[in-house]
Amino acid sequence: MTEQSAWLRQQIDQLANQQSKFTDRAFWLALKQVVAEQDRRSEQLGGEVDGRTWRPDRW
Amino acid sequence: MTTLVLVSHPQLADSTSQQFLKESLPDDDVVWEHIEGQSTLDVTKEQDQLRHADRIILQFPLYWYAAPAGLKQWEDTVLTRTFVYGDHRDPLAGKELGIVVTTGMPKQAFQRGGAENVTLDAVMAPLAALAHRAKMTWLPTFPIYQFSYLEEPEKLQLVIDYQRYLTQKQPDSLTNRQEWFAHRLSAMVDQLPAEQQTTGKLIASIFDQNRAHLDQLTDTLAMIKEQEDD
Repeated sequence: MTEQSAWLRQQIDQLANQQSKFTDRAFWLALKQVVAEQDRRSEQLGGEVDGRTWRPDRW
Repeated sequence: MTTLVLVSHPQLADSTSQQFLKESLPDDDVVWEHIEGQSTLDVTKEQDQLRHADRIILQFPLYWYAAPAGLKQWEDTVLTRTFVYGDHRDPLAGKELGIVVTTGMPKQAFQRGGAENVTLDAVMAPLAALAHRAKMTWLPTFPIYQFSYLEEPEKLQLVIDYQRYLTQKQPDSLTNRQEWFAHRLSAMVDQLPAEQQTTGKLIASIFDQNRAHLDQLTDTLAMIKEQEDD
């Protein structure tokens, strides 16, 4: 997890805790999970791009 | 997209899970109806509701491996042969059918060798057959196991999972999930009190950036793969 994403998740947590309505709190906490998924997917796709670009046979 | 939620429960007011789900309904275009709450079933009205919906949700507790009797009665009264397929108009064709089912037993009970020795998919076979006959698209079932044992974090999660099941584009992929959240995010930020607006906007902006970045990576990868194929 990058520093930015850790910070972002903390911000979302704080915002969620400030919501008095249960369904609003639920929304922000669920958004946090999607952000975590974005990070994970971005890392995986970035890795795949690197892996496929690094082709010694084409040097 | 219009979603029609048909709830079947003989004692709705006494059901904490059904009351919870009712409170969790999204603000979108959702029509909610309690089947047993109507003194008589108005067949024309019921059929019209079905015609106008894009996604139809049948929601009920599981009683002896089936829906409560009220839903069967509704099916037998409203889903006449002529309406569903008899006159070859197929008014339900292409619509999605989803099932929200609550159970008193835990998830692991619903498998071969488990306490119930049957999967929920197997139990839903008659409804899936109906969907097939009506040329509807069957959505993966949304089970809620042992609602009364859920802790607060699980209940918070349930609110949004349920809302997404009702209104999010299928399949439940990251792309569709992102779209669902993006669609709601600005309204959610707008309704925040003034002192929380800045944080809300910042979160929304990073979320959008992440989404755009993922799209870009996906495109790059597709290009690389295309070149590899050449």
